[in-house]
Amino acid sequence: MEVTTAASATGSDFESLRTRARNVRRLILQLAGTATGCHLGGCLSVVEILIALFGHVMRTQSPASCYEPSRYDSDHLVFSKGHAAAGLYAALAEFGWVDAQLLIESYNADGSPFTGHANARVPGVEFSTGSLGHGLGLGVGLALGRRLREETNSVFVVCGDGEMGEGSNWEAMQLASQHRLANLTLIVDRNGGQNDGDTESILAQRDLLQRLQTFGFQAFEVDGHDLGALCQALQAPVASRPRAVVANTQKGAGLPMLQGKHAHYATFTATQLRRALRSLEEASS
Amino acid sequence: MSAVAQNSSDLATTPEQWLAENIALSNRQIFRHALARFADVDARIVLLEADLAGNGDPFPARHGNRFFNVGICEATMIDMACAMAKLGYIVFAHTFAPFVMRACEQVRNGMAYGQANVKLVCDYGGVAGAFFGPTHHAIEDLAILRAMPGMTVLSPADALETVHATQAIASHDGPVYMRLGRNRVSRLQVPRVTFEIGRANCLKEGSDVGIIAHGEVGVAVALCTAQQLEDMGVSALVMNMHTLKPLDEAAVAETAHRTRLLVTVEEHNILGGLGGAICEVVCSLGLGRRVLRLGLQDRYDAYAGSHEYLLRGHGLDAEVAAQRIVALLPHPRPMAQATRNSI
Repeated sequence: MEVTTAASATGSDFESLRTRARNVRRLILQLAGTATGCHLGGCLSVVEILIALFGHVMRTQSPASCYEPSRYDSDHLVFSKGHAAAGLYAALAEFGWVDAQLLIESYNADGSPFTGHANARVPGVEFSTGSLGHGLGLGVGLALGRRLREETNSVFVVCGDGEMGEGSNWEAMQLASQHRLANLTLIVDRNGGQNDGDTESILAQRDLLQRLQTFGFQAFEVDGHDLGALCQALQAPVASRPRAVVANTQKGAGLPMLQGKHAHYATFTATQLRRALRSLEEASS
Repeated sequence: MSAVAQNSSDLATTPEQWLAENIALSNRQIFRHALARFADVDARIVLLEADLAGNGDPFPARHGNRFFNVGICEATMIDMACAMAKLGYIVFAHTFAPFVMRACEQVRNGMAYGQANVKLVCDYGGVAGAFFGPTHHAIEDLAILRAMPGMTVLSPADALETVHATQAIASHDGPVYMRLGRNRVSRLQVPRVTFEIGRANCLKEGSDVGIIAHGEVGVAVALCTAQQLEDMGVSALVMNMHTLKPLDEAAVAETAHRTRLLVTVEEHNILGGLGGAICEVVCSLGLGRRVLRLGLQDRYDAYAGSHEYLLRGHGLDAEVAAQRIVALLPHPRPMAQATRNSI
């Protein structure tokens, strides 16, 4: 089985990763343009996080060799914010796990594994998620299990900031800290929004960085759309404790037409999709 | 936890002898000894606890590196168990049955939907927690777990069956819920047949009433009731339905065909547990039998009392059960005892 390890960071790497990010955003917009739409805001905010993980940080097996989600020789991604499934599927398509055309044609369609919340029947998706507050507990189990097997594989868990309201996360954080799980990284996609509005006004995650530190994590705060900064925080050495990266992001990032709007879920008409794709190209040129 | 007899025989190879030497143990203690013994020979077995292992648990003493006490975090314990199972471990997770309801969604999404190879073993089933009050009773657990697709649900009746069931679920690939009681209960004096998940065992033949039961209290009450009925001249068949899911529908049909009234006995709400399950089968297969559901009467026991006191309050008592059965038994009436004895 072919295993690719994290490359060293060079300027040209990041340029190619930025191209990948644009591709993923384009695909997400196309999924928003299908009959049922997607959680657009949270999909666009998490793009760089996924690109940094798949394209630079994670040890992953070649997709062709591995349909089975428990990828014994690779690092783990637990995508806890399962409502951003379209973003995850699009990233998996960009890295060759799934066929982009098939994804667009069958997303949310009758009998398709591409459900609106992340589905483990899709190659590269390790756990079915969508109900919030499960990913970190799963990540703690993977990290403990890997340690018990005397293996060095890393575990990455991606949560939303609204999701931090779930008490189960704080249970799991205590356990990650208690067992000094240095092979575990929590990434919070802090896009500031949740279903009913601004996280700040509903259940604010004030001083999130400090809270994570208090719970025993080595915590970093970065611009979640800066691939260089993300990769650096995700790879910085930690001393026998779990790592947390608070990635400050924007809902609808990369799409100027969505700036400042509460774009939690969107279903584009054909005209809106054309406009969105044009907006994306203008923003990236 | 009571000390285990020294120079004891081997639980795995001669369980009956081992149990005879350790007569004071409750089924939930026996489960722990059985799991520790099976883990001696299977390095894939790990055990997660949520601060309720108690003293003297043999598993952490023998397999410390495969034992994780997560503290009072039931929800996270289940998610962790599901993830560890993905790495090839056979993960046992334990807490009290009432407390696993807090982690219901983790059980549903992680274990059932995810088809994780996790064995959730919970004691304090039914009202075994007695005087601790309803926060420590579990009268709905089987109904909830049974409704989850892909879940296997077991409720063993006594010590030997607990050993057999523990062995069976460790070898079974997929999510399992196994329910145990709390207190030491009598060991059944019945002939044993091979334990197989999903296959009911007929403990006593009979032709008037078919009593179907599960668990530590249900099966014991069923056997006592059958004895009372025999004394009254009513012939009672007793079926041990140790697996609530998948339910042995063929055994239900056979019991219905051979008798005139079906009775369920269980330490669970009469809604949704074995009583509910048997009614579903009787109706859907058109078996045409009335079903008398004996069990917990859809209420919480807010007043203190011993286990026996609470069970009696719900009519889980052989004498009461026998009277209710005779009153409901359809014609032809059972032969009078004198007549029967004279044949």
